[in-house]
Amino acid sequence: MSAIASAGRARARAAGPGGAALERRFHWWCLVPTLAVLGVVTLLPTLYLLATSLTPLNLTQPATQWDFSRPLRNYAFLLSDGRLHGSLWVQLKLSFWTVSLQLLLGFAVALMLNLRSRTLEALRTVFLIPMVLPPIVVAIIWKVLYTPDISPVHWATAALGWPLPTLITHPSYALGAIIVADIWEWFPFTMLMILAGLQVLPEEQVDAARIDGAGPWQLTVHVVLPFLRGVLLVAGLFRLIDSIKAFPLIFILTDGGPGTVTEVTNYYSYIQAFNFSQLGYSSAITVILVALTVVVSALIVRAVGWGHSGE
Amino acid sequence: MSRRARGERAAVHIAVILLVIVVLAPFLWLLQMSVKTQEEIFAFPPKLLFAPTFENYRALWDSTFRRSFANSAAVSVTSTALAMLLGVPGAYALSRARFRSAGQLSLWVLASRMAPPIAFTIPYFLVYRHLGLLDTRTGLVVIYLTFNLSLVVWLMRSFFDATPRLLEEAAWIDGAGLRQAFLRIVLPLAAPGLAATAILCFLYAWNDFFFALILTRTEAMTAPVAVVNFMNYEGWEWGKIAAGGTLVMLPVLVFSFLVRNFLVRGLTSGALKG
Repeated sequence: MSAIASAGRARARAAGPGGAALERRFHWWCLVPTLAVLGVVTLLPTLYLLATSLTPLNLTQPATQWDFSRPLRNYAFLLSDGRLHGSLWVQLKLSFWTVSLQLLLGFAVALMLNLRSRTLEALRTVFLIPMVLPPIVVAIIWKVLYTPDISPVHWATAALGWPLPTLITHPSYALGAIIVADIWEWFPFTMLMILAGLQVLPEEQVDAARIDGAGPWQLTVHVVLPFLRGVLLVAGLFRLIDSIKAFPLIFILTDGGPGTVTEVTNYYSYIQAFNFSQLGYSSAITVILVALTVVVSALIVRAVGWGHSGE
Repeated sequence: MSRRARGERAAVHIAVILLVIVVLAPFLWLLQMSVKTQEEIFAFPPKLLFAPTFENYRALWDSTFRRSFANSAAVSVTSTALAMLLGVPGAYALSRARFRSAGQLSLWVLASRMAPPIAFTIPYFLVYRHLGLLDTRTGLVVIYLTFNLSLVVWLMRSFFDATPRLLEEAAWIDGAGLRQAFLRIVLPLAAPGLAATAILCFLYAWNDFFFALILTRTEAMTAPVAVVNFMNYEGWEWGKIAAGGTLVMLPVLVFSFLVRNFLVRGLTSGALKG
């Protein structure tokens, strides 16, 4: 009896009741609606975006919608558009500073929170708040802090004899102001990922290094950091993608200004499309952004090792 | 414990508490603004003791903000339900079957979640103009599927990966069909994951700003867009802005607290093996 049961189990592991073909068909029927809808809501629009990027579509001139006479003119213009190049440079600065500082701060805070202490464990939840808040609320919070009339920060620094200029309208400080707000919003994300990584760090490795006489710095550099390499990479990539999408903070705090000093590429594309009605050209810019996103996503999929199904 | 180690512990505690203040203070400042009058908001040094007023909230309740709030709730719930219904079976199949193109599928799912919103906004805007879906709740529900459906597939797949096949196999041996085993055994086992995934979907839809900004005007306007509209006139009504912001973040804070443990896993899902 038990022999039959275990034989049955062995067969079941290979395939469900009715054999592999039936199981395959069942999985197929589970998957079809998901993929069909996902295809309709994501792939079709992407193709449409690609098609639109080949037209000079301007909403005020309906005839331009299906004008494919010079399909590459938008892409040619990308190369000579100084404002676009400026926006890429702003994007680069924003991404570099936010991602690197979030990783650094996240790592430092994670090391501190990793200490065994009930107080610290209770405080962990607090760090979730900035990153779960609706982005628009985060933007409003920082708008308040950066508006001199009602900002406790401006009041306090002025009272200490060190008045601040209005940061978000100042050409030298506006981008910095956005970077600070973005770090406040998202360093908890990198921190939590790194903390999760630290918690699976094998004790033996740490102990062995200690016995070999490693100090805290050596321990961090030679044991902890190499162990966390994968986590840091993925956390950084996730933040990199999000920094390409940055919108609410810029929309509320600076509207891309003063001038164009905080205008990232995503924001420039938005302005082209919905302020200047140049949907064709905006689509071309967006196609480039999507291509970038796909490349970074591919790096994540590879880093996580999800190229293969199952385990 | 040596004196040095004890000193280090104390230093770490102080540093963390300072950080907690930095994290909490801006957020608490907005909360207290929402129960102040306009004059009190502009008064410095700020009054720490004041009689809270709910005038700002009452003003919101009497305005069109109420409808925007209802829109947000309706759209987020509907989009979550649809995404779960469509995505969970697919996630199960992806977890259990071995498809040759699993790698490309993962990339597709992740990329649609990661794509900048404007990439979908432009084509949806153009198509909705013809279909009459601009400024409708239906239009928002559909576009929210772009990120929520991928989110469900991504999260539930890793959740199903972590549930043992053994129990399904036992059910098969007891004569259950594939569908029965899925509905009666696998889904109940995955209930905590289902609940947490649904909450995350709800939060992403609720927090959306960009899609609603472009695709709605008045009828289907959601709460985040409505709050920002208080900023468009001279002499901003900071009290109303703060109260509106507080109402928008309230459900988010409640739900996040409920799923705080899963949240970390959900946000970091796939980043850590095992």
